[in-house]
Amino acid sequence: MSLILLENVKKTYLSGEVNVPALRGIDLSINPGKFISFVGPSGSGKTTLLNLIGCLDKPSDGRVLVAGSDITRLNRQTAAKFRGDNIGFIFQNFNLIPVLTVYENVEYPLIMVQNIPADKRKKRILDLLEKVGMSDQKDKFPAQLSGGQKQRVAIARALVTEPKLVLADEPTANLDHHTAYKVIGLMHAMQAEFDTSFIFATHDPKIVGEAEIVLTMEDGLITKTQENPVSREVN
Amino acid sequence: MISILKIAWRNLRRYTRRTLLTSSLITIGVALVIIFSAIGNSFKSEVIGILTNSNLGDLQIHKHGYVGSIDNLPLDLTISEPNLHKVRSLLDNHPDVKAYSERIRFSAMVSNFSQTTNMRFTAIHPEKESQVCTDLVERIKEGETNPEIFVTPGSIVIPLNISKGLNVKLGDEIVLVATNNEGSVNGMTFKVAGISENILGPAGKDGYIHLEDARALLRIETAEITEIAIKLNHFDRLNQITLELKSQLEPIPGEKTAKPFFEVHTWEELSPFASISKIVTLLIVVVRIVLVSIVLISILNVMMMSVYERIGEIGTLASIGTLPKKILALFLTEGLMLGILGALIGKGVGIGIILIINAVKINFQFGMMTLSLAPAIPVAETFFSVITVVLISALASLQPALKAARMEPVDALRHV
Repeated sequence: MSLILLENVKKTYLSGEVNVPALRGIDLSINPGKFISFVGPSGSGKTTLLNLIGCLDKPSDGRVLVAGSDITRLNRQTAAKFRGDNIGFIFQNFNLIPVLTVYENVEYPLIMVQNIPADKRKKRILDLLEKVGMSDQKDKFPAQLSGGQKQRVAIARALVTEPKLVLADEPTANLDHHTAYKVIGLMHAMQAEFDTSFIFATHDPKIVGEAEIVLTMEDGLITKTQENPVSREVN
Repeated sequence: MISILKIAWRNLRRYTRRTLLTSSLITIGVALVIIFSAIGNSFKSEVIGILTNSNLGDLQIHKHGYVGSIDNLPLDLTISEPNLHKVRSLLDNHPDVKAYSERIRFSAMVSNFSQTTNMRFTAIHPEKESQVCTDLVERIKEGETNPEIFVTPGSIVIPLNISKGLNVKLGDEIVLVATNNEGSVNGMTFKVAGISENILGPAGKDGYIHLEDARALLRIETAEITEIAIKLNHFDRLNQITLELKSQLEPIPGEKTAKPFFEVHTWEELSPFASISKIVTLLIVVVRIVLVSIVLISILNVMMMSVYERIGEIGTLASIGTLPKKILALFLTEGLMLGILGALIGKGVGIGIILIINAVKINFQFGMMTLSLAPAIPVAETFFSVITVVLISALASLQPALKAARMEPVDALRHV
């Protein structure tokens, strides 16, 4: 069964009085446990597609099914619950809360979304910080971290709720090349360890090759699907 | 809910500058209203105490129509002997009446044999008057201050300005000339036994003589009087007891008509200070409104700023699956906590300053009165201010919190 199923998905934005099509009829099926990349130039519709899969936005037409649920039918409340139960997010700007420490940032979804008891929270967070190599930085605030470190924390935060799917929109755009490779490597390792599907959008052709499946987008359509036999050791 | 409280409190601690700014604004507002209320109430009760304990009593009974003509001190509107007996039996058996004093009030010419002026007199039995106007003898600055005998038959207490104006000292003789109810003029000589402060009476020209002397001077042969001043056991029950007395005296008809014979008035209806007292009360209300506005605007402003500053955080919270009602609760709790924090500190600061004012003992002149500022801690006022501020904080936080909760995550994330 597909983890993600899109049927003739269209999305149009109103810019002034003009309708601008962002997605022009996407059909897509993705199985669980994959490491997938959307690649394409700015404005090709990558972020819009991720927002639809992530239940952050609704299509103008078509159906989006994630983990068997038609998320186009969800209201604000149920959509939020669905995201909390099933989806983790990694952002280009890391989106760590500046007044919270590394530990508290990772802990936030467990308190606000999943109401996990404190003792269970602690073990899960420390394990995850250990896995992303940030356990010795757990008491630092985001301003005290490098870009790569921030993104590691963001990966831990995305995984802490044990989601079925992690969506990462341009996760390496603010990182140097070397750090970007490390972050993608870490994401891949986490995907393998937790058997969580990772989908990331990028316009960086150098890191595209790290994905198992590369979907190329142009002008709101998927124009090419390429499978890579990726096997990567993560340091 | 506990986790929301913990996170809200943590956010307030971590966003230090914003928290300090808002809570200090609320603190200043609450402290000011508590101090202003305490000082205003202290001023009111001090002046009311002086007026009721020196001159007016808590309430007075007259013949119907007397107060309407009180400026003339009419001698034809007296309480006749039979009716006086009725009032006496009522007051003697009333558990809330501490004391009462029968008076004849009249105008007279006063002469030192070379100069003449007019004065208003209250004729009394000193021992009864002292029970009603307990501070009266304290106002006598020279002469006899024994509450039982500060004025005796043949003696007179005059105010300081008359003493100076007529160049009259203790022990000097002066003449009172008065016209009685039937138009006959009579004069009597009195010895000055006391010189009082000027505060007694509107123009500071009020003196005291013994009730027996007034009857002789005005040739009143029966036990009639013009007013009865009453002191209550509990001043705070004034309005209730006034109503009781009114209902008990109203059925007594006039001597010639069926209208009620008596009228009962509280000190408020007999003193122009009642208007000032009402203005002070109004000012306290105005200050309260200003406080509420300060709190409302400052919390609204800070919470709006907070929402705008934290759009990215809201977007992240929403995207990770935080329910809108939890986002609402978080921002609402932060606003509420700011209000509680500011209000409690403000209450402490306000009470502290009141204690300092009491320790310093500030005296000031109000008209001819020397008032000692002794603000009591207004317990009800402090609770009212704190509760008002907390409610207003919740109200002011509601709009920004709703804005945060209703924000579309995809829009909020674009602001990052």
